[in-house]
Amino acid sequence: MVWANALVLGLGGLLVAAPVILHFLMQPKPKEHVFPALKFLRERQLTNRSRMRMQHILLLLLRCLLILLMAAALAGPTVAAGAFANYVTLGLVGISALVIGIAFAAAMFVAKKRNGLLIGILGLLLLGHLLYGGYAAYKLANSESGQLLGDSRDPVSALLIIDSSCRMSYTQDSKDSLAKAKEISSWLLEQFPSDSQVAVLATDGEPAFFSVDVGAARNRAESVEINYKGAFLPETIAAGMELFDQAIYERKEIYVLTDMTRRSWTGSDSQNILKKLENDLAISVFVFDVGQKEYQNFSLAPLRLGSEAIADGGQLELSTTIDRVGAAAQRALRLVIEKPDNSRPVIRDKQVLVPDKFWERTQTVDIRENSNANVSFQFSQKLPRGVHHGRVEIVGDDSLVVDDVRYFSIEVRDAWKVAVVCPADVNPNNYSFAVSPPRDQNIGNSLYEVTIIDQAKLSSVKLDAFQAVVLLDPEPVSDAMWVRLEQYVAQGHGLGVFLGRNALNNGVADLSFTSLAAQKLLTGTLTRPWERDRDNPDLFLSPDNLSHEIFAPFRSWEEAVAWNDFPIHAYWGMEPQEDTEGVTTQTILKYGNGHPAIINRLINNGRVLVMTTSLTESSSDRAWNDLFVGYSLPAWLLVREITNYLVQSQADHLNLSIGQTATLQNDVRKFPESYRIFTPRTKGAPAKVTTVGDQIRYRFTETPGTYRIKGDRSGPVLRGFSVNLNEAETDLTRIMPAEVDEVLGAGRYQLATEKDEIQRQQGTSRRGQEFYPLLVLLVAVIMGVEYIMANKFYS
Amino acid sequence: MAVEKYLKPEVINQIKRLDLRAQFVVKGFLHGLHASPYHGFSVEFSEHRKYSPGDNPNDIDWQVYAKTDKYYIKKFEAETNITGYLVMDLSQSMGYTYRQELSKFDYGVCLAASLAYLMISQQDPVGLITFNEKVRESLPPRSKRKQLGDVISLLSRLEPDGVTNFNHSMNQVAAMTRNRGLFMIFSDLLVDDGSIMDSLYRLKHGGHDIILFHILDEAEVTFPFNGPCIMKDPETGDELKVDADGFRKEYIQQITEFRDTLAADCQKSNIDYVPIDTSMQFDKALIEYLHSRRARF
Repeated sequence: MVWANALVLGLGGLLVAAPVILHFLMQPKPKEHVFPALKFLRERQLTNRSRMRMQHILLLLLRCLLILLMAAALAGPTVAAGAFANYVTLGLVGISALVIGIAFAAAMFVAKKRNGLLIGILGLLLLGHLLYGGYAAYKLANSESGQLLGDSRDPVSALLIIDSSCRMSYTQDSKDSLAKAKEISSWLLEQFPSDSQVAVLATDGEPAFFSVDVGAARNRAESVEINYKGAFLPETIAAGMELFDQAIYERKEIYVLTDMTRRSWTGSDSQNILKKLENDLAISVFVFDVGQKEYQNFSLAPLRLGSEAIADGGQLELSTTIDRVGAAAQRALRLVIEKPDNSRPVIRDKQVLVPDKFWERTQTVDIRENSNANVSFQFSQKLPRGVHHGRVEIVGDDSLVVDDVRYFSIEVRDAWKVAVVCPADVNPNNYSFAVSPPRDQNIGNSLYEVTIIDQAKLSSVKLDAFQAVVLLDPEPVSDAMWVRLEQYVAQGHGLGVFLGRNALNNGVADLSFTSLAAQKLLTGTLTRPWERDRDNPDLFLSPDNLSHEIFAPFRSWEEAVAWNDFPIHAYWGMEPQEDTEGVTTQTILKYGNGHPAIINRLINNGRVLVMTTSLTESSSDRAWNDLFVGYSLPAWLLVREITNYLVQSQADHLNLSIGQTATLQNDVRKFPESYRIFTPRTKGAPAKVTTVGDQIRYRFTETPGTYRIKGDRSGPVLRGFSVNLNEAETDLTRIMPAEVDEVLGAGRYQLATEKDEIQRQQGTSRRGQEFYPLLVLLVAVIMGVEYIMANKFYS
Repeated sequence: MAVEKYLKPEVINQIKRLDLRAQFVVKGFLHGLHASPYHGFSVEFSEHRKYSPGDNPNDIDWQVYAKTDKYYIKKFEAETNITGYLVMDLSQSMGYTYRQELSKFDYGVCLAASLAYLMISQQDPVGLITFNEKVRESLPPRSKRKQLGDVISLLSRLEPDGVTNFNHSMNQVAAMTRNRGLFMIFSDLLVDDGSIMDSLYRLKHGGHDIILFHILDEAEVTFPFNGPCIMKDPETGDELKVDADGFRKEYIQQITEFRDTLAADCQKSNIDYVPIDTSMQFDKALIEYLHSRRARF
C-alpha cells in the first residue's frame, strides 16, 4: 500500500486523541429534575448505567473512526489493482468483526438477561472473523512485497506479445487482425514512459529479447508476419516472462494482443505463468482483444488423395470437405494442376517465376449454415511422368483466406513390377487383388504391375526386371535358387515369403526349407507346423508394436481393428536367427501365443519379409487362416503395405503438414547430388539442399504451399512436395473467459477491446487502485450514523 | 359544550377560587351527563313534590317557595344519604408538577372539592382527612351547605409537605371512623414499602367502601425527559443520575406494571381504583364516584 500524504495519516493518528479528550472534558452536564417516582428508576439504574457507558464508548469509537477515516482518505492510500479486492474484503471483515464485537459486548454487559447461546454464537463468530482477518492480513502483507505503485510516468519493463497465428489474418472491413494488433502495438509503444524497456514477441518461435530502444521495438512489431507453425500464446508468454530476470525496472507489464481464439491459448505452460504472476505482483497483464465477436468463414479440410503416386496413364482422384461457419452460401471449388515446365521455377529480375499454365476443373457447391459439403475431383487427363503440383481452392471472397486453399503434389511414374511366384495348384488372387485391385487395373491406375509366375519356371525368370518377388506357399526350393534370391535381395530388391502347407514333408519341414541357404532368406529355422488345438483354441494375429512402417495405416485405428475376427488355424514355427554383419532380423508381428507371424530381415539395401502362415487359401477346410474371409480389409491393407515395403515405394512423402521434415530418396546414381529449393516465401536466392545418405531432407516447412526442388543432371530435374496448414490452426472458436483464467489467473489480468479501456487499466495498474472514493463514502456513512446516535443519546 | 371546557385541568387551573372551581367542574360534568346513562340520577336529585299536610315543615324548600309562592319539599333526601370521606395525601411528592401548572396536589384538591360540592348538593354528608406521615387534619362529615365552605376552606389552606407514611396514616383513618362510609383517597402512592394494599384491606375490612384516586403527574406517566439527568426525590432528597432516553421505555413499563398491579389487587378487594394523571379531565374521577354511589343504592 502506498500513501500519497503519509504525514496526514500521522496527523490524523494524533487527532484521534481529540474525541477522547473531548469525551472526558466535555461530557454534557446532566439536567436536574425533581422527580418523586424515583423508586422506579432506582431498580433499573445499574443496567442503564452500563448501557449509557456502552453508548458513550460506541459514540467515542465512531468519532475516532471518523477522524481516522478522514485522515486515511486525505492521506490517499493506493494499492495494486490486483490486491484491491483483498483489501476491501479485509475491510469488510474488519467492519463485520467490529459490529459483532459490539453486539458481543452488549450481550455480555448490557443485556437484561444474559443469553448463553447468543453470547456463544457471537463469540464464535467474532473469533472466526478475527482469525480470518489475521490470516488475510498476514497473507496480504506477505504478498505485497514487490508491488510498485506511484507515478504513472515511471519507466517500465514491458513485453508486447503479438499473436501472429494464421487466424490473425482474418479480415474484417479491409483490415486483418494482425494489422489491428500492429496498430495497437504502435500506439502502446508511444504510450510507454520514456526509457522503458520493451521486448516485442510474436508467436513465431523467434527468441525473446529486449529491444535496444522503443524505435527498435517498433520495427520489430511492424515486421511481425503471419506464421503457420502453431506456436501458442502460453509458451510465448512464458518465454517472455523469462526475460523479466533481466528487467532493469521493478514495474513490469505484459501486453497480449490476440484475436482470443481458443487455439491460440493452448499449451502446457500455464502453471509456470501462474506461478510467476503469483510470486510477482509487480507484473501487470493486459490482454487486448483484436478479434471478432462472431466469425464467418469458409475452409477446406485436408485433401484426401487416392495416392501420392499414380501409375503412368492413371487417374488422379482427390476429395475434400468444404466447411462453413456462418450463413448458408454457394461457392465454387477449383482444382488447379500445373502443366510441366522444365524452365521453371527460375529467378528473373529478383522474382521467382513458377509454372503459370494449368489444367483446371471447377465445381460449385451449396453449403448450409454452419455445415459442410464433400467435394470430389477426378482428373483423367494423362499426366506425364514426374512430380506434379496443384491445389484445390475456394473461389470467391472469404474473411480468412489461408484455409481456402490446399496444395498437393503427386508423382506419376511407372507401375512397380512385382513377381508373384507360386506352385501351379496355389491360387494367387488374394494377394494380387490386394496389391492391384481389378478396378485400378481397369482404369490403368494401378501402381503395381503384378506378374504371376509358376514356381516351376522361376529358374528361367529374369528377376532383375521386378522390384520385388513374392513366394506364395512355395514348394521346396533348391539351394541354388535360395542363393540366387539372396543375391537378388542384396542388390536392393524385396522378397516376400508366405509359408504354407507346401513346405511340409511328412508332417515336418522339408529339408530344402531348413538348409543354410534357405535360413538366410527365411530369417531363421523352421521348427514344425503349429495347428490350433485345445491349448490354443483361439489364435489370432496380435500386433503389440505398430512402429514398423507396414503398420502405418493401422496406427490411427489400432483399437478398431478386430484381429480376432480372423482366426489363424495353422502356421510354421520359426526360430529367428541372430543378426550378423549387414543382416538384421526383427519380428514385427506375432501371434497371440507370442510366436513370430511376420519377420523382417534387411540384407544390405534389400528387404525380406517372411510370413509364417499362408494367404493363398480361404474358406476351405485346408485354409491356414481366415484372414481373407468376410470383411478382410485388414488383410488387404497388410498385404498392400507389405508390398509397398518390399518395393520401397513409400520412401517419399510428397504431402506434408507445416513443420514436418520433407525427406526424398535421392539415389545419386540417378539424380543430382544437390538441388535448389524454392519455397513459397523464397524471394531472393533459393536455398541449396544436398544429398545425405541417399536422401535429401528439408525441415523448414513453415509456410503452406508448393516447395519446388530443382537440380541439374544433363538437364533440369524437377522434384518437390507440398505443405499444408493443419486444420486445427484455422479453428476460429473463441476462448471462454474461464479458460483464459486458467492461463493467467482469475482477476490477474485486464481484458480490453478499446484503446481507452487499456489506457484506463494501465493508469489504474501503474498508479494502483485508490481508496479515496471508498473512504469518503465510508466517512459519509459513519458521519450519518454518528449524527443519529448522538442525537439519540444527547437530545 | 361551553361548560365542559371546565373539566379540563389547564382551564380550571385559571380559576383561583376553589369553590368556583368545584362548581364549574360539577356543572360541566352534569351538563355532560345529559347524554349519559346517569341522566336519571340527575333528575332524581332535582325533583321536588308539593307539600302535603303531615310533612315536616323543615323540609320545605324556601327558595322554591320564594320563586313560585308554593310549598315544595325535597322528596328523597333521606334515601340518598351516604357518608363520604375525602382522604387527601399531603406529602411533599404530591406538590410535584413537571409543567409547573397543576400539581398532583392541586389536581387532587380540585377533584376533592368538586366531589364535596357534588355530595353536599345531594345532601350527602362529607368529611375531609389529610395525611402525610400521619393524619394531619380532619373535618367530620356533614351534609349542611356550610360544610362545603368548611371543606373548601380547609383544602385551600393545605400545603404539601413531609414524607408519606401511607400505612400508618390509613390505620389512623380507619380508627377515626366508626360508621360505614365511602373513603375517597387522593394520593400518588409513591411509598417505598409495599404496604399500600395491606392498609387498604384493613380499611375495607372495617366495612368501608373505597375509591382510590391514584394521581400521578403527567411526567410520571410519560417520562418526557431526555439525555443525562439527575433525578431528585422531593421527599427524601435522594438523587439519581440517569440517561433519560435509555430509561423511558423501562420506566413506563415499570409504572404501568405498578398501576396494573394496584388495579388488579383493588379489583379483587372490590376497591374502585382510578388511575389519573394531571392531564386528564376531571369527569373521569366524578364518574368513578357516581359508579360507586350507584352500586351502593
